[in-house]
Amino acid sequence: MSAIIEARGLSKNYGKTRALDGASFSIEEGRIVGLIGPNGAGKTTALKAILGLTSFSGELKVLGLDPYRQRNQLMQEVCFVADVAILPRWLKVSNAVDFMDAIHPKFDRSRALDFLSRTDVSPAKKVGQLSKGMVTQLHLALIMAIDARLLVLDEPTLGLDILYRKDFYRALLSDYIDEKRTILVTTHQVEEIEHILTDLLFINKGRIVLDATMEAVAENFVEVAVHPDNRERAESLQPVYEHQDFGRSVFLYDGIARDKLSELGDVRTPSVADLFVAKVRGEAA
Amino acid sequence: MDPNWNDNQPIYRQLRDKVVAMILEDVLKDGDALPSVRNVAAEYRLNPLTVLKGYQELVDDDLVEKKRGLGMFVTTGAKTRLLKNERQRFLDQEWPLVVASIDRLGLSLEDLLSKADKKKAKAQAGDKES
Repeated sequence: MSAIIEARGLSKNYGKTRALDGASFSIEEGRIVGLIGPNGAGKTTALKAILGLTSFSGELKVLGLDPYRQRNQLMQEVCFVADVAILPRWLKVSNAVDFMDAIHPKFDRSRALDFLSRTDVSPAKKVGQLSKGMVTQLHLALIMAIDARLLVLDEPTLGLDILYRKDFYRALLSDYIDEKRTILVTTHQVEEIEHILTDLLFINKGRIVLDATMEAVAENFVEVAVHPDNRERAESLQPVYEHQDFGRSVFLYDGIARDKLSELGDVRTPSVADLFVAKVRGEAA
Repeated sequence: MDPNWNDNQPIYRQLRDKVVAMILEDVLKDGDALPSVRNVAAEYRLNPLTVLKGYQELVDDDLVEKKRGLGMFVTTGAKTRLLKNERQRFLDQEWPLVVASIDRLGLSLEDLLSKADKKKAKAQAGDKES
């Protein structure tokens, strides 16, 4: 497998603010990677660097290209859904399809129209007449019709109701994903995508604090609701995080055998949201 | 559809159990096709690899067979084999937990039987009425 994205010591300052602080990670082909971090952690800056929208220091290769210097070449193989509406309000849906058809060599017009025909988005409408959910559907129709190798999604379902959010991922899974396509997605709605992801990247204060496959996460991280009698033993095993749940202490462990932990109390695999809180709070402490 | 996954078992395992339950309940019969990996992934919003892994477990247990280019199908005699295995699995894995529960609650054999009989009696009464 070849690396689609390779970052080494990626850094970026905005004035005195250090948005990225030596972030290193690599993303392989065919993976679905969640880039998860609190507000201001550097997610959007990282995505901008990957898309060639900002300069940076450190090493970064996307599909073997330098995204900042070889942006035009890169954009033939990459597509992007931003968290803000970027389609102009006066544009007709059919014009948007025409436009993509004209500028993008890998755009498949019939695919876009086919996808739109299964939504409520009428080609005769203007973007300004569409609801937020419909604009997202239009956006999705446009990018899913591009035969790209890398799809970058920045908070793609922000502000959408639950039905549109589900439909978004349903469409992505049924019509887009295959083993040749790589997806990098950021979102605050972690629970919505955690079962779709193959890999997790946690970013905090411009640094990568967790880089693991979901399989490794399930294998290594175990949460135990510890019986009060076992507290001392639980602490001696060096938990990475502790929180309270209905008066019981819940400890999170990294790399300790499940069998050993099950003697202490009820074990379970932490959700991505739990793990995220543990990692980010743990860092701060 | 939105299944309630639990945190105690990997999802591919829960997916496998779901198909097993469908075979036991005759929702899926010998020779029936399983929904495609893509469909299941989209409907449940799961990674396709997870679905594939769940299906592979069923193939390994000889409950499902892969027909090239056509998809996955329930094997002949799957339910019969399954019942045998599930009975054993219940006795090995679930029953000890139930027994521990009964023990903890201090339930007697009579308590348990009276409840089981009542249910049976009710069901029989229902049969007569209809």
